[in-house]
Amino acid sequence: MTLQRGAVDAAAFASDIVLAPLDAWDRIAASFRSRSALQDDVLRLQQENRVLKGQAQRLASLLAENARYKALLNSAREIEDELIAAQITSLSPDPARHVVMLNKGAADGVEEGQPVLGAEGLIGQISLAGEYNSRAVLITDSAHALPVQINRSGLRAIAEGSGAIDRLVIRHLAATTDIRVGDLLVTSGLGGRFPHGYPVARVTNVDISPGDAFAAVSAAPSSALDRGRHVLVVERAPELPIAGSR
Amino acid sequence: MNRAHAIWVIYASLGCALLLMLLPLPMDWRIIRPDIATLALYYWVLALPHRVGVATAFTVGVMQDLIEGAPLGLSSPGLMLATLLLLFNYQRIRQFDLLQQTLMMLVLLILSTGVEQWLRNGIDLPAASWGGLLGLVCSMLCWIPLRSALRHSRRYYEVY
Repeated sequence: MTLQRGAVDAAAFASDIVLAPLDAWDRIAASFRSRSALQDDVLRLQQENRVLKGQAQRLASLLAENARYKALLNSAREIEDELIAAQITSLSPDPARHVVMLNKGAADGVEEGQPVLGAEGLIGQISLAGEYNSRAVLITDSAHALPVQINRSGLRAIAEGSGAIDRLVIRHLAATTDIRVGDLLVTSGLGGRFPHGYPVARVTNVDISPGDAFAAVSAAPSSALDRGRHVLVVERAPELPIAGSR
Repeated sequence: MNRAHAIWVIYASLGCALLLMLLPLPMDWRIIRPDIATLALYYWVLALPHRVGVATAFTVGVMQDLIEGAPLGLSSPGLMLATLLLLFNYQRIRQFDLLQQTLMMLVLLILSTGVEQWLRNGIDLPAASWGGLLGLVCSMLCWIPLRSALRHSRRYYEVY
């Protein structure tokens, strides 16, 4: 395991060497970007920032309100998770796996098992953390499964990776289950690996055939897993004992 | 037995081939990435069977696993088996013409990849789909330029 952790860093270093010419070209090209393009970018980002700030204002008040209710209900105070910004540097060369390389490692606080978020929802978890780089397995990897909950009804299920980048499979749901196309799946927090409430996927297909005991349900990840390079690693807040448990 | 000469070329070429595995490809294109490292290994076994053998095959396999982040020892057995076959038959395979040799490489690639996929099944790791055969065909086609490049460098540096 130590060898493999070291290999994560070594492989990242090697791929840096391989990519150096491409990187240099990117940098040269970026320094020649036209001024108007940059101005457009700034304008767009400012607008986006205003919108997000507006939404964040509401979020703060909602969080405060939520905390008050939680206090009223006498339940554990929820601590906000710390986020580590990371970049996807490469994909695993193995075509059968959906594994990506991130440019943050144990030195930055990344640990194995930490959830990885994309722009619109959960995309995976850290499978191997080197010192300065790490590997993350995506939720669509066919060796990956995670506990989810249907946001509308609260029903719990397991979403398995299918090996296709845009599809998750939810198995073992009774044919009579209340699930519809368009339902949002969020992490349920069961299993203790992923915190509760991050969006995961949207149900795209519910196929109930009269002869089968289970419904065939598939969902599309909320975040486009094959787009974008920037991700967030969730550094888990220390768990507080919940009143009444254990 | 002659003393070794310029065998660093062997390890340099194997190292470069392993580095090529790290070239970025889009998600769905990874399946047709030619397996240059395996082919380079087969070339050197064929050309210098007294220098490159099962131990080198084992090392290349371990390096592949480390680069892919796969469990260690997944690629080695297949490579070692194929290398062993090459060692038993190198005199015959050297006499083959280019087409026969290229097809022989496909057979060896299927063997080594097959053993790897079989091991993957055994430990419940995702195995390649049938589309993976396309990747093997791409690798096979790479044998033609790779063989001439490696042969050229072997003669140029007088590796023996």
